[in-house]
Amino acid sequence: MLYALMGIGLSIITGVLNIPNFAHGALFALGAYFLVTLIQLLGNFWLALLLAPLGVGVIGIVIEYGGIRPLYRAGHDYQLLLTFGLSLIVTEGIIIVWSPVGMSQLPPPILRGGVDLGITIYPRYRLFVMAAAALLVLGAWLFLERTRYGAIMRAGIEDKEMVSLLGIDIHRLFTAAFALGCVLAGIAGALTAPIRGLNPWMGVDMLGIAFVVVALAGLGNLLGSIVAGLLVGVAQSLVALVWPEASVAVIFGVMTVVLLVRPQGLFGIR
Amino acid sequence: MSGLSRRDVVKLGSAAAAFGIGFPTVLRAQPKEVVMLGLWSFTGAFSDVGPVLDRGMKLALEERGMKVQSKTIKYITRDDETKAGSATRRAEEAVDSDGAKFIIGPWSSGVALAVSEVAKRKKVFHYFSGGTEDISGARCHRYSFQWAASPYTAAKTVVDTFMQANPKAKRWHLLVADYAFGWSVEKYIKEVGKGHGIEFVGADRHPLGEREFSNYVTKAAGNKPDVVAMINFGLDAVTGAREIFNFGLTPKVPLILTWSSGVEELVQLNPEIRENLWVGSNFYYTADTPIAREFVKSYQAKFGNPPGYAPAAAYGMTRMTLAAMDKAKSTEVADVVKALEGLELDDLVGRMRVDAKTHQTLRPYFFMRCKKKDAMKGPMDFADIIATGSTPLPAEYAACKDIGSL
Amino acid sequence: MSRAWLVTLATVVLLPVFVRHTIATEIWIFAIFGLGLNLLMGYTGLLSFGQATFFGAAAYAVGYLLKHYAINVVLALAIGVAVGAASAALVGYLCVQRSGLYFIMLTFALNQMFYFTAYQWTTVTGGEDGMPGVPRPEVLGLDIHAPLAYYTVVALLFVLALWIMRRIVESPLGKILQSIRDNELRAEALGYNVPRMKLVAFVLGGAFAGLAGVLYAMLFGIVPLEAIGFVFSGNVVFATLIGGSGSLYGPVIGSFVFIWLSESVSAIWARWPLLLGVAFVVVVLFLRGGVVEAWARYRAWRHASG
Repeated sequence: MLYALMGIGLSIITGVLNIPNFAHGALFALGAYFLVTLIQLLGNFWLALLLAPLGVGVIGIVIEYGGIRPLYRAGHDYQLLLTFGLSLIVTEGIIIVWSPVGMSQLPPPILRGGVDLGITIYPRYRLFVMAAAALLVLGAWLFLERTRYGAIMRAGIEDKEMVSLLGIDIHRLFTAAFALGCVLAGIAGALTAPIRGLNPWMGVDMLGIAFVVVALAGLGNLLGSIVAGLLVGVAQSLVALVWPEASVAVIFGVMTVVLLVRPQGLFGIR
Repeated sequence: MSGLSRRDVVKLGSAAAAFGIGFPTVLRAQPKEVVMLGLWSFTGAFSDVGPVLDRGMKLALEERGMKVQSKTIKYITRDDETKAGSATRRAEEAVDSDGAKFIIGPWSSGVALAVSEVAKRKKVFHYFSGGTEDISGARCHRYSFQWAASPYTAAKTVVDTFMQANPKAKRWHLLVADYAFGWSVEKYIKEVGKGHGIEFVGADRHPLGEREFSNYVTKAAGNKPDVVAMINFGLDAVTGAREIFNFGLTPKVPLILTWSSGVEELVQLNPEIRENLWVGSNFYYTADTPIAREFVKSYQAKFGNPPGYAPAAAYGMTRMTLAAMDKAKSTEVADVVKALEGLELDDLVGRMRVDAKTHQTLRPYFFMRCKKKDAMKGPMDFADIIATGSTPLPAEYAACKDIGSL
Repeated sequence: MSRAWLVTLATVVLLPVFVRHTIATEIWIFAIFGLGLNLLMGYTGLLSFGQATFFGAAAYAVGYLLKHYAINVVLALAIGVAVGAASAALVGYLCVQRSGLYFIMLTFALNQMFYFTAYQWTTVTGGEDGMPGVPRPEVLGLDIHAPLAYYTVVALLFVLALWIMRRIVESPLGKILQSIRDNELRAEALGYNVPRMKLVAFVLGGAFAGLAGVLYAMLFGIVPLEAIGFVFSGNVVFATLIGGSGSLYGPVIGSFVFIWLSESVSAIWARWPLLLGVAFVVVVLFLRGGVVEAWARYRAWRHASG
């Protein structure tokens, strides 16, 4: 489910803005660190969980405005260089601000411990994360399918010139899309913190997986990225049971095959 | 350039070099200097440990006023980036350009094995502390030494002590990092466990750098073990321990970290997660030796928190190296290597002896039990040492058949 | 001889005077690597995010042969070039059909596959520990163990590589590749077999990467796992962009700046990647075209003001 969140966030960014956002993993980590600091400041897990992703969104707006906007016509190489540079800056910034030593965040008391599901014990917090992520994904889906903004965003992926001809400020659309993608990365990071703990490089693994999800879904296929995110998660845990060393290799293998055979993605129609 | 023969080209190059040798004199070692290299991770996977390793080594050198055998010690560091490539190239470069003759570090086993090759090729002294058996085992040679206890010593200490405290806990589930070090500790734990009648209900291997432990923990929980023991290190151990807690296994089921860095890992876990956590380590700051007490005192005074295994290892290795120089009354690599072989003294963790045949430092290993939250006297008061053990690796397991020549 | 050539030769001769020999050697190795990438990225417009595949494959293959079969240096270099070219042909064959982000992601994914193969194939590659003990045999009867001797070998090969690359870029083939970069459809309309041309660029770039990989393995006596990792692929892309892609000397300058800076700053300040990140952002926002562009602007400014 978290993969779906990361995937959909990156999918919006790659789809609407057509840039490879290498800073996505670092923003994920930033969401987790914001969560911990806000909990320390406010003493409230839920409020922190709400505010941390918004903080990441604000950073996202700054990045889009100051860095990415001049680059829409610059070619992927410079976009790559910029977003990679930003991810270095964010990661090193985390080290300077919070220290390189990993940190720990417990789930709120009512979500600690495991629940016996009959077949297996499962942690309460993970159940909560699944439910929350499912709700968010559903929310994102409704937003994209049923609202005017969602429609504009989808149209922006299909045909940017048409959208701007219709009198919609394309720059505002881009900023909004980038910020939304960042917020989703921030939520995923914040939700992950109690499961995996925090360290400045926590986003690196996630970045790779997010790209796999996007590739499987097809660039800019937002709904596909939800399904692909779930698929990757399930596939990875299944492979981990039988052949743990290969769990990462397998998903990249699948990504390669999909890119070769069905570049429009598993769920692409184009 | 066709008019020049190959030899001329090389000569030209040498001429350019001769011109160059005098130039960066600042960078080159004076004969009166002993250049010691601390090869630490300031970036990459172990970058949290690099700075404290640096502190430990510096402390040991400053104690001696940066002098040994009436020569000045020049301490330099390089960032190994926790990568074999960066570590070897920076080590080579430090040896070639700065005249470094004594390398301490690095922290990661895989990286250290690569650096050990550099030491062998460049004939420089190398002291390392960490989880690979190979430095004093299959890939031993005259220039590299191992400071950490043998994995056998660790397994023996952990299993014996734990079974003494919990004689009924016979069903063990193991979670093992999938590389050479994990396998050898697993082998020894099973070996020692036989004597206690332990039944190993499961042994799962996870790749290095695993961050998603839920599948392994689900499996562990399904086996209904009396104990879960993890054989992994650093973030893998921290992430695994957190997940085992999230699944509600701990504190009901005790969890053992077989080979832990102690403070560095425990500080990354909340007190709730540390309840019923048992920890084996190469160092813990309540170690009761005169040198450890002094070291902890000065470290705490300087940096405000107690030292973990990492700074202690850097400190300990540097001390042993300096002790060998004193014994040899020389700072030549060959003399120091010979002096360290067989050196026996009371040092940081107690009685220590360097085995000349394998270059393994024979020494005590610590086993701790973590305190409950309300029993802690301060935020860093994690655990009590409940045992130390120093059974060396039985000769039939020794993989270092021939340490070779200088 | 042009002025640029003179400057290059002077740098080659003078560099070991000012920079530590090992670093100086690495700069030229990385420059050879960058030259190959630049043919793809700068001249053909193909942003390959998987150059380490070819670099690493050649380093492993030749490292293995050097270790176990004690082949001589000339053969080692030839095999390295061949392995680099062959692996690039394979990857290129799969990739040239795609463009844009798909192309980048595909080169990246294939790079990851090679990486995990190397990671798992521990009997040959040593996995996480790397492949240590790669010897540096004599070259034509000369001992090249001394850092400066090896530097000389690498520097000569670099000059050779640079010369070959200039010939390639100025050849009809080079012009075709540039026309593909500028307008793929037009190149196709002119009757060029665009995918085949791209494949040729791939193979040539891979050959350069292979040469660099072998030299790297012999320089440090080890093939580390990260030599085939995507971070390494990224580094060469970034170094080339900093120098200025699409110009012959761009990757050379880039590798100089990248290696020399990261080596000297890392010895002083542990948080050096931060500076690197800032440098990337600055180049992207204010200095697209990299150092080469900065130089051109400086010249233009001087010209204008005096």
